[in-house]
Amino acid sequence: MANAPAGGITPTHDTGTRATQVFGTLAALGVAWLCAFGLLFSPADRDQRESVRIMYVHVPSAWVAYLAFGVTAVASALYLLRSSHSLTWDRLAGASAEIGVLFMGVTLVTGMLWGRLSWGVFWTWDARLTSTAFLFVTFLGYLAVRRLGGTQHQRAKRSAVLAMLGVLEIPLVHFSVRLWRSLHQDATVARIEGDPDLDGLMLFSLFVGLIAFTLLYVWLVIHRQRALVLEDALEAHGLDAALVERRAEAALQGGGR
Amino acid sequence: MDLTPRTSDEVAGAPSSRRRWIPLLALALIVVAGGVLVTRFLTSAVDYYCNVDEIGVRSGCDEGRSLRVQGTVEAGSVSTERGVTAFTMAFNEEELPVRYNGVPGGIFDECIPVVVHGSIERGVLQGTRVEVKHSSEYVDENEERLDDAVERSGARRCSPQA
Amino acid sequence: MEDAGFVIGSYVVVFGGIAAYAATMISRARRLARRVPDADKPWT
Repeated sequence: MANAPAGGITPTHDTGTRATQVFGTLAALGVAWLCAFGLLFSPADRDQRESVRIMYVHVPSAWVAYLAFGVTAVASALYLLRSSHSLTWDRLAGASAEIGVLFMGVTLVTGMLWGRLSWGVFWTWDARLTSTAFLFVTFLGYLAVRRLGGTQHQRAKRSAVLAMLGVLEIPLVHFSVRLWRSLHQDATVARIEGDPDLDGLMLFSLFVGLIAFTLLYVWLVIHRQRALVLEDALEAHGLDAALVERRAEAALQGGGR
Repeated sequence: MDLTPRTSDEVAGAPSSRRRWIPLLALALIVVAGGVLVTRFLTSAVDYYCNVDEIGVRSGCDEGRSLRVQGTVEAGSVSTERGVTAFTMAFNEEELPVRYNGVPGGIFDECIPVVVHGSIERGVLQGTRVEVKHSSEYVDENEERLDDAVERSGARRCSPQA
Repeated sequence: MEDAGFVIGSYVVVFGGIAAYAATMISRARRLARRVPDADKPWT
């Protein structure tokens, strides 16, 4: 995707390509399908009535947040373990974490709305809710650590260590309903004991949600990772320019003596 | 050529002190938020989480102390009078009467599992907060007709739920 | 629809939040892209 010429001379490319167009279109179609099935075609639940429709956005948001934090940890490990220490892995980790925080935040808000309708309360200090909020706060911290300054490799190293520690919270969050007595219901789909306990059309709507949100994640992470390439390039250019400027000043001072 | 580093206030394009402090401040706030979450969770965990059949049996699930009690609302036991809701909750065939000063929200109903916060006084759980628990089972509302038919026949019983 | 405010509100929060994030991120990326030569964009 080409922009208008910058400075009227050379056309520049932004973060869009054929791949993002394909993923963006598929994600938009998936979201439209999800809204149709989630809000209209799927039935109300026997106990929860219409509030069950929140599940079709709540569960996929949580899934994408787990996926995003998992990708962050894997990319961080690859940055640390591979001899090249490529910043591409670090940028993928940073992009994925930012999107994970977005989806985790959305999970918390939709969970509170769903909780008010089904449990009767927006929030309770339950193991699942608290551990999810803690995971959210951990990766908010990860994003803050990335902005602490230093060189790009310093940023990459310290944030990679934090990501690999933070991701260990995911199994704790997922199994918290088993480890502690919890108000939150047990897993419906990702469960050890056999098939999901979901009516056919409800399961289909949830499946549409999982696909749509995964496509959204891929689309967002490609754009964000490329935006981070641009930020790093500008930072490097800024440093180069400052060095050139400093050398020029030093040469002038030397010539004046 | 003099390439000695400049002092920080003369570096061109150096981030302002405000810009450098923002991530540090954000990080400090995030650490505090994490601490608050853990503290609140641990404070809440002081209230033992007991099933009805554990009252007076399991250590910590005693009368007079602040508890969270889990059980299923017994069919035909719910009554509301002058803003006070009374019902009986059961777990593993043990029952416990509950009085709650208010009307429970959510999907509160007979045969629905609930968690009641409060303390037991003279054999009655004086609830301060009622939370409704739902299972991980999702069923088409239309199947409710079958349940209604069963209820009309007088055969309705609460199936055991945790 | 029963509880329409909560149900539709949750969809608005989700897709509104994602759309706002995407719009902010992509418009910033476009501004940055104008200042970076294409040689520094491995995807071009």
